[in-house]
Amino acid sequence: MSIFQYFPVNFSAIQNQHLILAVIGYSVVFLSFFLLALLFSVVPRILSWNVRRTFDDEGDEAKKASAGNMIPGEVSAAIGTAISLYLDELHDQETAILTIRKVGKSYSPWNSKIYNVINFKGFQR
Amino acid sequence: MDGLVQLFAYSGFANVTPGHLLMILVGMVFIYLAIRYEYQPILLVPIGFGILIGNTPFIEHSGMALGIYQDGSVLNYLYQGVLKGIFPPLIFLGIGAMTDFSPLISNPKLILLGAAAQLGIFMTYLGAISLGFTNPESASIGIIGGADGPTAIFLSSRLAPHLVGSIAIAAYTYMALVPLIQPPIMRMLTTQKERRIKMKPPRSVTKIEKVMFPVFGLLLTGFIAPGSLPLLGMLFLGNLLKESMVTKRLADTAKNAMIDTVTIILGVTIGASTQATTFLTQSSALIFILGATAFMFSTAGGILFAKFMNLFLSDGNKINPLIGAAGVAAVPESARVAQLEGLKADPENHLLMHAMAPNVAGVIGSAVAAGIMMSFLM
Repeated sequence: MSIFQYFPVNFSAIQNQHLILAVIGYSVVFLSFFLLALLFSVVPRILSWNVRRTFDDEGDEAKKASAGNMIPGEVSAAIGTAISLYLDELHDQETAILTIRKVGKSYSPWNSKIYNVINFKGFQR
Repeated sequence: MDGLVQLFAYSGFANVTPGHLLMILVGMVFIYLAIRYEYQPILLVPIGFGILIGNTPFIEHSGMALGIYQDGSVLNYLYQGVLKGIFPPLIFLGIGAMTDFSPLISNPKLILLGAAAQLGIFMTYLGAISLGFTNPESASIGIIGGADGPTAIFLSSRLAPHLVGSIAIAAYTYMALVPLIQPPIMRMLTTQKERRIKMKPPRSVTKIEKVMFPVFGLLLTGFIAPGSLPLLGMLFLGNLLKESMVTKRLADTAKNAMIDTVTIILGVTIGASTQATTFLTQSSALIFILGATAFMFSTAGGILFAKFMNLFLSDGNKINPLIGAAGVAAVPESARVAQLEGLKADPENHLLMHAMAPNVAGVIGSAVAAGIMMSFLM
C-alpha cells in the first residue's frame, strides 16, 4: 500500500494552459513590482531636482552636491531621540491648568442627611 | 417522559460523531497555541472558538436553523461576509492604515523579493492540478502560498466557494506556524557568511513620497491586474488615510475598531465553517498538505532570489538573504523570524527594518497574484 493511493499525483494532468498561467502569472507579478521599484527609485531624484536647481542658480556647489542625498536613518533616529528627550523634559513644567473635581454629593432626598434625620424623628414619634 | 427523550435527541450527546470530537480537539489546540505560545492570537482565538461553535453537535434537519450552512441561521448571515468576499477588503483597509511602507520606499529594490516569494502560489497551483483539483480550485489552493488569509479567502470565495473554510483554516494555521516552518528552510538555503551580511540603514522617507506611494501603487497594480482592485484599492486607501495626516480619525477607526470587528466575525465564521460533517474530507487533507508546500516554496523563492540579486550588487549594497523569506505576506511574523535568525548568526545584526520591506511587498504581491488568477479563470 503506497501513500500515492491516498494522494494520487498525476503530473500528466498539468497541461500547457496550466504552465502558461503559472509562468505568465509569476512574470506579471514581477513586472508590476519591477515598475513600482523603478518608479520609486526615480521619485527621490525628481523631488530633489528643484532643490538642486536652486543651488545651481546660487552657484553653491557643495549644497548642490548634497541635495540629492537623503538624511541617513541613523541621523533621523538621533534627531528623533533628541526631540523626544526635549519634549519629555518639557513635561516637568506644569501646564498651570487646574482641574477641580467636585467632591460633595449633589442633593437628593435619597442622600440627604437632614431628610433622614427628620424622618427618623417622625418614626420615633 | 417523551419530552425528556426528545430533549436528549436534540442534545449534542445524541448527535456527536468522532468527527465532531476531532474538530473540537483541533479547536482546543488552536486556542492553546494562541494563548500558550501567542501564535497569531488575534486570529487563532476567534477561529479556534469558532471551530468549537461549529462543531457542537445538533440535529441538522430539525428546522431550528442553527448551523452555518443552514439558510436563515444567524451564523449563515454572518458567513455571507466571507462567501461574498466582503470581509477581506475591509481587513485590507485596516492593514493599509496600519502599514508603514517607508522601508520599501527607501530601498525599492527590496520590493522584488516580495514578488519572488509568490513562487509558492504558482508552484502549488500546478501541484493541485496534478492532484486532480479543477483549475479554479487549484488557483484558490495555490494562493495559500501568499501567506495572506484575507487574500486566500477573497480568491477562494470567487473561484471555489465550497473550499473557503479549508483554505482559510490552512492559510491561518500556516501563518501562525511561520516561526516553525521558515527557520529550517532559511538555514538550509543560506550560509553562515550570508546570514551575517549587514545592510545599510534605510534612508528617511519624505512625506510626499509616502503620499505618492498608495496613489501610484494603486494605479500601477490596478492597471496591470484589475482583479486585485477590491483588495489593493482598500489597502492603498487605508494607507493614504494614514499618510495624508489629515484623516486621522478615519485611519484610527480603520486600524482599530473596524478591523477588530471584522476580524472577530471573520475568525468565528471561518472557524464555524469547519463543521465536521462538511469539513472532514480527503480534499481538506490534501489542501493542508498543499498549503504547507506552498509556504515552503514561497520562503525558498524569496531567499533564492535575494541570493540571485546579490550576484549583481556591489559589496556594500548586498542583501542579507534571510530577509527574502519575509517576502511572504505574514506581517510582521515572517519579518520577525528574519530578525531572529539574523541575530542568531550575528547578535549585532538587526534585520527587522529591512525585512519589513519585502514583508509589506508580499501583501501587495499576493493580492496582485490573486488578481491575475481571477483575470485568467473567471
